Amino acid sequence: MDLLLLGVSHHTAPVDLRERVDFSRRGIVTALRELALRPSPTESVVLTTCNRSEIYVACEDPDRARDDLAGFMSGFHHVPEDELTPHLYARTNGGVAQHLFRVAAGLDSLVVGEPQVFGQVKEAYAAAAGERCTGTLLNKLFPWSFTVGKRVRADTGLGEGAVSVSFAAISLARKIFGDMKGLSVLVAGAGEMAELTATHLRSQQVRRIAVASRTLTRASDLADKVGGVAVDWSAVGDELLRVDVVVTATGASSPILTRPAIEQVMHARRNRPLFVIDIGLPRDVEPDCGELEQVFLYNIDDLRAIVSENLARRREQTTRAEAMVSDAAEEFAAWLRSRGAIPTVVALRRRFEAVRQAELERLEPKLSRFTPEARARVEEITRLLVQKLLLTPTERLKSARDAATAAQDAEAVARLFDLAENGSGPDGSASAASSRAVGAGGAPASRAAGTGGAPEPPAAPKTPVAS
Amino acid sequence: MSFLPLLLYLVSGVVYAVSFVRRSPRAGRLATASLAAAALVHTFVIGMRTVEIGHLPFVDTASAISAFVWMLAVAYLYTEVTTDERALGVFIAPLLVGLQTISTLSATVREPAPILDSPLLAAHVLSLLFAYAAFALACVVGVTYVLLFRELKSKQLGFFAARLPSLHAVDAMNGRAVGIGWLFLTAGLAVGVVWVLRLQPDTSDPRVLAMSFSDPKIFMVALVWAVYSFEIYARRVIGWSGRRAAWLSALGFSIVLVNLVPVGYFLTESHNF
Repeated sequence: MDLLLLGVSHHTAPVDLRERVDFSRRGIVTALRELALRPSPTESVVLTTCNRSEIYVACEDPDRARDDLAGFMSGFHHVPEDELTPHLYARTNGGVAQHLFRVAAGLDSLVVGEPQVFGQVKEAYAAAAGERCTGTLLNKLFPWSFTVGKRVRADTGLGEGAVSVSFAAISLARKIFGDMKGLSVLVAGAGEMAELTATHLRSQQVRRIAVASRTLTRASDLADKVGGVAVDWSAVGDELLRVDVVVTATGASSPILTRPAIEQVMHARRNRPLFVIDIGLPRDVEPDCGELEQVFLYNIDDLRAIVSENLARRREQTTRAEAMVSDAAEEFAAWLRSRGAIPTVVALRRRFEAVRQAELERLEPKLSRFTPEARARVEEITRLLVQKLLLTPTERLKSARDAATAAQDAEAVARLFDLAENGSGPDGSASAASSRAVGAGGAPASRAAGTGGAPEPPAAPKTPVAS
Repeated sequence: MSFLPLLLYLVSGVVYAVSFVRRSPRAGRLATASLAAAALVHTFVIGMRTVEIGHLPFVDTASAISAFVWMLAVAYLYTEVTTDERALGVFIAPLLVGLQTISTLSATVREPAPILDSPLLAAHVLSLLFAYAAFALACVVGVTYVLLFRELKSKQLGFFAARLPSLHAVDAMNGRAVGIGWLFLTAGLAVGVVWVLRLQPDTSDPRVLAMSFSDPKIFMVALVWAVYSFEIYARRVIGWSGRRAAWLSALGFSIVLVNLVPVGYFLTESHNF
C-alpha cells in the first residue's frame, strides 16, 4: 500500500483556478463520498484551505491512482482535465509526509507560519475519519502531522507575531487590554482604512464601535457596515472619555487630537489606558501624545515596522522549522519502510516455524517417551530459540535506512531462506514478500527509490504532473 | 536536611528560566512540579522543626524568613494554578533562593522565650508573613508590568511582550495582591498591638518594653503600611494604576526586605527573640 497526494496550491495555480477547484464549494463530505466510489483509493482525506485543494489517499498503484484522482478532480469541479493537469502536483509516500508536515507547520502557506491552516488540516482529517474514509496509513500520517505542526510552532515561534497591519493593531490591543470582548472603540474617519480596521476590530467581538466623521451620513454608513453606532463629530471629546481604543483615519490636513486635548482627556479618565491607532496620512494625532502616561500611540509606520520585524523573525526560524519537518518526515518514511518489511518478516517467521514444527514431528517417537511437562519444556525452548534467532533480522529489516536498502535486504532474505520457491504458509505470503521490494509503504523498489521513498528536500520545487 | 528546600528552589529557578526563555510548555510544567516539590519538602522541614522545638518555628528572624519563603512559594503556586500563567516564576524564584539562602545560613537553635507562647503572637507573625508574601508577589508583578510597559511605549516589542500576559492582567494582579497583603498587614499589626499592650504592664523583658515606634523594626513596618495604604488610595481615587502602582509596590517591598533582613538581624531591639 502506498501514500499518494494530488493537489493544487498557490505554488502551482493562479487564484481563479484555485477558486474553481475549492472543495468547500460542494463540500468535503460530498467529495469524500464520491472518492469512496472510485476504484483506486482505499483511504482518503480531502484538504481544502485558503490557497490549496489536496487529496491524500492510500492506494495499491500510485501511477494509476494519480490519473484516477486527476480525473476525479476534473469531473468533481467541472474543470477540463487538460486545463487542470498542468497545475497539479503529486507526491508519494515519504514525500506525502514531508508535504503534509510542512502544511501543518505553516511552512507551505502564503504567509509562512499562519495559524489557520493547522486547524484546517485537523478538520479535514476529522471529516474523513467521520466518513470512515481513513485507515492504517492516513490514521498514522495525519495525527503525526498534528504533533509535528504543534512542535514546530512551539519550538520555533513560527506562528507568532502579527504579519499584517490590522493584526498588528489587534495584537497590540490584546497586549495592553487582554481580552478584546469588553473593549469600546472609537473610529474617527469613514474612509477605506477606517473601514478595514473597524471590520477587523468587529471580528474580535469588541463590545462597542462608535464611528465619527465630519459627515454624519458617512459615519452612519460605516457604522451600519461594522455593526457600530454613528456619533456626531462634536461628540468625539465625550467618546474619548469612554473608549479604550481610538482609530483615526480622517485624512485631515492638521492633527485632530492634540497633546493638550489628550492630557485633559486622560486626567478625566483617571489615567485609564488609551490605545490610539493613527493610520491617517497626514497623521491625525500629535506624536508627543504618545509621551503621556497610559497613552499608547502607534501610527501606520510603527505598525508596519512591527510587521516587518515579525516577518523577518519568521524567516529566521524557517530554516530550523524546515529541519524539524525533514527529520519528522524521515521518521515517518522509516515507519513506512518498516511496514513494507512486514510481509518478508511474516514469511521468514513462518519458514522458521515450519522448520521447528517439522523437527518436532521428526523427533516425535523420542519425545513421546517424555513426561507432558518435559514435552512442554521442549516446545517452549524451541519456540524461544526461533524467536531469538529472528529478533535481529526482524529489527534490521524494519529499520532499513532507505528504500533501496530495504528492497535489497528483503530480496537477500527471500533468497537466503528460499522464501519464494518453498513458500511457508497456506496463503503464499512468502512469495508475495519476495516479489515485493520493500520500498516505503511497500512500493516496488525501482519506483520507491525514485518517487518519494525518501523525503524530498524542504524547498523542493513542486513538479506538476504534466512536466 | 535544611539545605534541601534551598536546593530544590534553586532547581525550580533554573527550570523556570529555561521555560521562560524557550517558552517550552513542557519545561513550564516541570518548573511548576519542581517548585511544588520544593514547597512540599519545605513544609516537611518546617513540620519537623515544629516537632523539634514544640511550636511553629517563625519567631527568630531566620525562621521567619524561611516561613516567608514557604508562604511566597505557596502563594505563587496558587496564583499560577488559578491563572494558568507561568511567566512570573522566573522573577519569583531568585527571591525564594536569595531569602532561603540567608535563612539557611543564619539558622541557629535557640530556646524560645516563655512570653512567646501566645496564640496572639502566632496570629501576628503569620498574618505579617502572609502580607509580605503578597507584597512580594505584587512587587514581582509590578516589575513585569514595567518591563512590558517599556516595550509597548518604545514600540520595540520583543522578549517580554512575547512572554508576559497583558498589561491589564498584570496590573489587576498587582492590585489584588496589594489589597490582600494590606488586609493581612493591618490585621497582623492590630493583633501585635493588642498582644504588646496586654503584655507590657506585667513584664520586665527588655524586648517587649522596647516595642514602640522608636524601634526601627516597628517604625519600618509602619512605613510599609503607609506606603501600601497610599498605593490603594492612589489607585482608587487618583487613578494611579499601572506603572505608578508598580513603582509603589516595588518601594513597599524594598522596605519590607530591608526590615526583614538587615533591620531584623542587626538593628531592632524589640524583635530579636
